[in-house]
Amino acid sequence: MPSVHFDHVSKRFGATTVVEDFSLDVEDGELLVLVGGSGSGKTTILRMLAGLEEVTEGTIRIDDRDVTALPPRDRDVAMVFQDYGLYPHMTVRENLSLGLRLRKVARTEIDRRVAWAADMLRLEPLLDRKPKQLSGGQQQRVAMGRAMVREPLVFLFDEPLSNLDAGLRAQMRIEIGGLQRRLMTTTVYVTHDQVEAMTLGDRIVVLADGRIQQIGKPIELYRSPVNRFVAGFVGTPPMNFVDGNVAQKNGSISFTSDGIDFPFLSERRASDVPSGSVTLGIRPEDMTVDVLDAQSDGPTRGLQGRVVLVERLGGTSHIHFDAGPHRLLAAVSNDRLPEVGDAISVRLHSERIHLFVGDRRISSVI
Amino acid sequence: MRAERRSGSLMAAPYAAFLAVFALYPILFALVLVFLKWDLVTTPVFAGFDNVRVLANDGRFWRAVENTFVFLSIHLPLQIASALALALALNRPLMFRSFWRAAFFLPVVISGAVVAILWSNLYATDVGLINGLLVRVGLNPVPWLTDPSTAMPAIAAMVTWKNVGFYVIIYLAGLQYIPRSCKEAIEIEGATTWQRFRYLTLPMLLPQTILVVTLSTINGFQLFIEPYVMTGGGPLRRTYSIVLYLYTNAFAYQKMGYAATIGVALALIIGTVVLIQRRVIGKAEAL
Repeated sequence: MPSVHFDHVSKRFGATTVVEDFSLDVEDGELLVLVGGSGSGKTTILRMLAGLEEVTEGTIRIDDRDVTALPPRDRDVAMVFQDYGLYPHMTVRENLSLGLRLRKVARTEIDRRVAWAADMLRLEPLLDRKPKQLSGGQQQRVAMGRAMVREPLVFLFDEPLSNLDAGLRAQMRIEIGGLQRRLMTTTVYVTHDQVEAMTLGDRIVVLADGRIQQIGKPIELYRSPVNRFVAGFVGTPPMNFVDGNVAQKNGSISFTSDGIDFPFLSERRASDVPSGSVTLGIRPEDMTVDVLDAQSDGPTRGLQGRVVLVERLGGTSHIHFDAGPHRLLAAVSNDRLPEVGDAISVRLHSERIHLFVGDRRISSVI
Repeated sequence: MRAERRSGSLMAAPYAAFLAVFALYPILFALVLVFLKWDLVTTPVFAGFDNVRVLANDGRFWRAVENTFVFLSIHLPLQIASALALALALNRPLMFRSFWRAAFFLPVVISGAVVAILWSNLYATDVGLINGLLVRVGLNPVPWLTDPSTAMPAIAAMVTWKNVGFYVIIYLAGLQYIPRSCKEAIEIEGATTWQRFRYLTLPMLLPQTILVVTLSTINGFQLFIEPYVMTGGGPLRRTYSIVLYLYTNAFAYQKMGYAATIGVALALIIGTVVLIQRRVIGKAEAL
């Protein structure tokens, strides 16, 4: 039985539609990530689930109970806010226990749960401090503790890490993931950061313009994006796109674009590939770069390019190169890196090539 | 560095001059007057501690002190409660919100004498609007300003009405400072409307409450124009405030030295009361 169920939910502010016909099941114990850019509707969906935003159309069920019209306090959810929403006039201990006190939980039970959360989140030394005496990461942990002690049916996270610096963000990401796996509480997590989504989510929902683009496990989104938006959104550095045409010549198929004539599809059945204009997508790490020596007569299969920038990141390096009018990016871990201005030959791993007709990806090609 | 200091002093000079003429000089002059007998016409005579001695045993003065404290004991709670309630109401999405905010602020900028005359008419026993309404719903008319037991409460209610807009502004600013996420967090945590107010809004408005208490205390001690216009201190001297007594001594009896002594005593009383208030409610100020 799904723990959270959205049934054709829409949200409109006046004439503006923010969320359009959103249907989704969140399984019991799952960590589901809603990811998208600003204006994608992800936060609105979360706020509708919390009861902070009214639903224009459709129903929301939590644990098989229709909560669409219920106020937030009757939904048995706990939320961690982007700016934490800690009560500034209360100590950490009071922040953790207020929700339980409001619900008239017994004193001994409150103490037990506060002690449990404080132990899990290493908050014991901070219990008598006020929020403004804590660092960002500590405030974040208090906010999580406040959600935990309630032992709710669902955790809601609204971009909880975006106020932290990069190092702390990575660390808290690991903590949140670990905590969720231990507690096995159904969690809906909103972020604009696809790295956060990929590393945390059991499943990810990619949103754009208030509509679901794709739902799937992180690796599915990465390997088989259904459209160009998802392909470009998931993965860093992002996928390269080249607009061009597919043409058949003597039974073999090649992709042509300005300065590129690439017979990459000879092993595929010609009938699978539509003729006409397509977009080729290739991830930076699905390319191999070879420096062309003066004496070599050039590869037969590959793109010819000229290096415009090399970013050395240590383990991997990003090579920006021009192939015809196209600026592309390859991520390589070669020891022998080309220099700016070098002519290079780039091999595309043909089993990793994505083809898009219009916006949709033609899945049969892969 | 020295040029900088000189230009700094120069820029502060106009205000310093203003302060010297209208604050420092009167304060010093009042302190000197405490030890003089002076009727504004003849040469002042040195009187030692005579004024202080007389004041300590002046039943009318202590009656005025008592009256002023009665006024404050009604005015302060009423002022805080009404300002807070109005601010909460005006902080919600409301039709014509700007109009309401302006309407409640309007009495603040109207002259106190005008308000006093207006309210004298509202309170009038036979022809007043308030008694008219009471009679219409079947109640007996109340002699608001002529009954010793209702005169001061009636004045306190009127002063509260006149100043409420000012304190509403202070509370509104405080309300807008409460983060949205805090309000939503406590809502999700299960708070009822009353619990939200009790555990979040009220404690987070503590700095504003301290300000409102301090300002309305200082203002309240200076109660003058309302009893002066509406009751002349009566009935039975029940609305005789400290400042009204000071004014009477200064400009009716021409006892400038004695009036200055009352003024200094008033300043000491205000200082003490505000200090005690701060001690009591300031404990929780460590937000």
